[in-house]
Amino acid sequence: MASSKKLISREEWEKRLNNVKIRKEDMNKLVMNFLVTEGNVEAAKKFRMESGTHPDIGLATITDRMAVKKAAQCGNVKDAIEKINDLNPEILDTNPQLFFQLQQQRLIELIRNGKVEAALEFAQEELAPRAEENQSFLEELERTISLVAFEDTSNCPVGELLDISQRLKTASEVNAAVLTSQSNEKDPKLPSLLKMLIWAQNKLDKKAAYPCINDLSNARLEDPTF
Amino acid sequence: MPSATVNKPRPSELLSRLTSAEPEVKVRALREVKNQIIGNRTKKLSFLKLGAVPAVAGILADSIDDVTENNNCNNTNNFLVQSAAALGSFACGFDAGVQAVLDAGAFPNLLRLLANPNEKVVDAVARALRMIYQSKLAPKYDFLQQKNMEFLISLLNSEKETVSGLGASIITRSCETNLEQKALFDAGILRKLNSLLEGGSLSQRDASLESLATVFRNNPEVISKFAGPEIGRPLSSIIDLAKDRYPRTRLLACMCLIVIRNASPHFLQDIGIKTKLIHILLELLDDPGQVGDEAPFAFSSLIAQKEDLQKLALEANAIDKFHHHIKKGSLHPRRYEGILLALADMCSKLESCRSKFLSLQVLNLVADALTDYNAGVRAAACICLKSVTRSIKNLSAGYFMNETIVIPLVQLFLDPSTSVQVAALGATSNIVVDFTTRKSIFVQCGGMKQLVQLAKSMESSVRSNALWALKNFVFQADNRLKEGVFSELTASLLSSLIRDPEPSVQEQALALVRNLVDGCINLIEFVFAEDGLILGAIGRQLQCASKAEIGIQGMYALCNVASGNEFHREAVMQLLFTQMGDKNQSFVVKFLQSNDSQLRTATVWTIVNLTCPSSPGAPCRLEKLRNAGIVSQIKNMVNDPCVDVKVTIFFIFRICFLFASLFWLT
Repeated sequence: MASSKKLISREEWEKRLNNVKIRKEDMNKLVMNFLVTEGNVEAAKKFRMESGTHPDIGLATITDRMAVKKAAQCGNVKDAIEKINDLNPEILDTNPQLFFQLQQQRLIELIRNGKVEAALEFAQEELAPRAEENQSFLEELERTISLVAFEDTSNCPVGELLDISQRLKTASEVNAAVLTSQSNEKDPKLPSLLKMLIWAQNKLDKKAAYPCINDLSNARLEDPTF
Repeated sequence: MPSATVNKPRPSELLSRLTSAEPEVKVRALREVKNQIIGNRTKKLSFLKLGAVPAVAGILADSIDDVTENNNCNNTNNFLVQSAAALGSFACGFDAGVQAVLDAGAFPNLLRLLANPNEKVVDAVARALRMIYQSKLAPKYDFLQQKNMEFLISLLNSEKETVSGLGASIITRSCETNLEQKALFDAGILRKLNSLLEGGSLSQRDASLESLATVFRNNPEVISKFAGPEIGRPLSSIIDLAKDRYPRTRLLACMCLIVIRNASPHFLQDIGIKTKLIHILLELLDDPGQVGDEAPFAFSSLIAQKEDLQKLALEANAIDKFHHHIKKGSLHPRRYEGILLALADMCSKLESCRSKFLSLQVLNLVADALTDYNAGVRAAACICLKSVTRSIKNLSAGYFMNETIVIPLVQLFLDPSTSVQVAALGATSNIVVDFTTRKSIFVQCGGMKQLVQLAKSMESSVRSNALWALKNFVFQADNRLKEGVFSELTASLLSSLIRDPEPSVQEQALALVRNLVDGCINLIEFVFAEDGLILGAIGRQLQCASKAEIGIQGMYALCNVASGNEFHREAVMQLLFTQMGDKNQSFVVKFLQSNDSQLRTATVWTIVNLTCPSSPGAPCRLEKLRNAGIVSQIKNMVNDPCVDVKVTIFFIFRICFLFASLFWLT
């Protein structure tokens, strides 16, 4: 069966790849940007020493941000809130969505530790007024409170709130908010580039058969097939 | 590890710790207050009521003294940072907080602290000041004073984002007059803002866009100087930012471009930029946050009163997009209000837009919004209805006079908010101009009675709008309806409204009478009810009419009365000749000499009706008019620029010919 797709051999492909010149400095910048945005200070410091690449953000600010993120990841929400407020009180004052999410996480931690009475009191005093100010929070509040009603939380419809992933989600939102407040990009560039690679390959798939990368973790070229 | 503590100190307890002698206790309490109020409006209010703000402001003031005495630096800085942050949080988006901070005298202290050597202190203070300047209550900044301008420039030149951001906020809040805008331009501020636009960080770019828009507003001179010799370049950086990756930047850039467009006829007029702006704003609607909430307002400012833009927006499927968003439901009230107002602007002039609106069945969604819990949304829904109901085609078909719309609309007549009442009345005024025989629906759901009640409101805008609606309601209505309105109103109420202190109310009341007596001769009896209360009121009001519109409506009312029988005509004559002051001149001559052509027209028509040859008393009345110099005045108007007047005058001449002897004697 004749195919309208062009076939590109491995040899030809590798030749084309080698012809594209990418500067080492640019690649280093990408790596540094990733380490810094994700908040890996030690690795960033080491990398700076080894490669001589300068980070876009001061490494000192990263430490502050990482303390916030870590507190959130461990479920120490009150601590995280206090740290953000020390860093920049405007963040939570001007971001009701984020503030609600953090308070919601506090509620979840209270429920997780079986402190039902305290949880209800907290919901009443801290979260209910937020829901009054903004009706979209009401639904979330009700979902969270319903956790209290279930004996077996592993099987309940809102059980995912107790999952560790909820904490990580909150922590990541907090990290993004701090980055944005520091006028930094909240997303590292590297994942976006990988997404572009996959998109480009998908587009090219329609027109040609060529050695493509299927496993991003090892970036091995696989031979073209029809 | 769980961290929630339940044994929180009560607010009053915390407050007393703020005045503790021990610095440790004090600073911990201060930090706790700060952490409790951030993000929590309810707590801000309760701490405010307990007097927290003066206490915190006091700590700030004391710490400044400590700084000057060089006491324990670290501790002092900590106090400064925490108290400034707490004050800033009280002021953040909370007007009562701003007022309290200003009342506590913290403002001058905060300003002084901008010069503090410690970075964290300066950051906290700059933020607090910026929160204050985001409020309408912020003290007015006098740009015209030299040292103030220098201070502002120093702020903008600062390396610190928080400080340059403060400088921009001051401009955005305080710059109001053309003089101030020019002063800012002359001091080179715009060049500085432009450099922040091109080389600054995200927040600096955003702040700069807002400030530039403020300086450009309604000032074509400053705009053309800015776009200056390097024509296009500064504007092109703003245009580029309209395509920026951050939604907020895109919105602010669009708003800046719209300000430029609206102020100056020379810039940004080509169809390319118009289309681009429309598309960017419509796309920003998809943003789930504050940017999406504000986008429809920016859209309104772009298209309002501009048919060419409304047409372009229609082609860009704007109405479909707005419809799509409203349909989704659970909108933030600000966004809901914005979209309704944008739809109102879209349908304000073009029938094609109204047709599209109606064909998509958006009307039902707008009718739902009439019962929304938010007053701004209810008012916006009414304003939207008012625009759509300008469609004569659909009014004639009786499309709007149905219960789905009329019942909730009439309920809004009793709305606690005056602006909602007025907006509802505006929509009603259009809807009741119904050319079918369905006006009775309005009576049945109590609308007419409500309007009469509103005509007695304490608010003059409510009175005049209620009368407007009644005026439209009785326009060419059948006798039964008119009688119903009149008996509900009563002669005494109507005559007192004619003599209302507010000119706009007088005008509408007279217009209502005009419409009431128009048509059947029996209706003219209204003005004679209760010893001629209404007729008398008209006469007195015409003698001291403060503006032409009042004269016009009054004369047309008299004109209609004079179209009745002899008794009616004689009554009008008597009214015209009641003396006023020492002038000995009837207001008729004054009206005939008016600059307003409508007023002249109304007056000559009245004279035609008075001297109509078929009536036995006509010659007598014509004689009286001649003696009062009115006929000669009319003869002078033979070349009146207004066609209506000229044509009517020739009627009068014909009449005069019929009574030839009288004519030649003039």
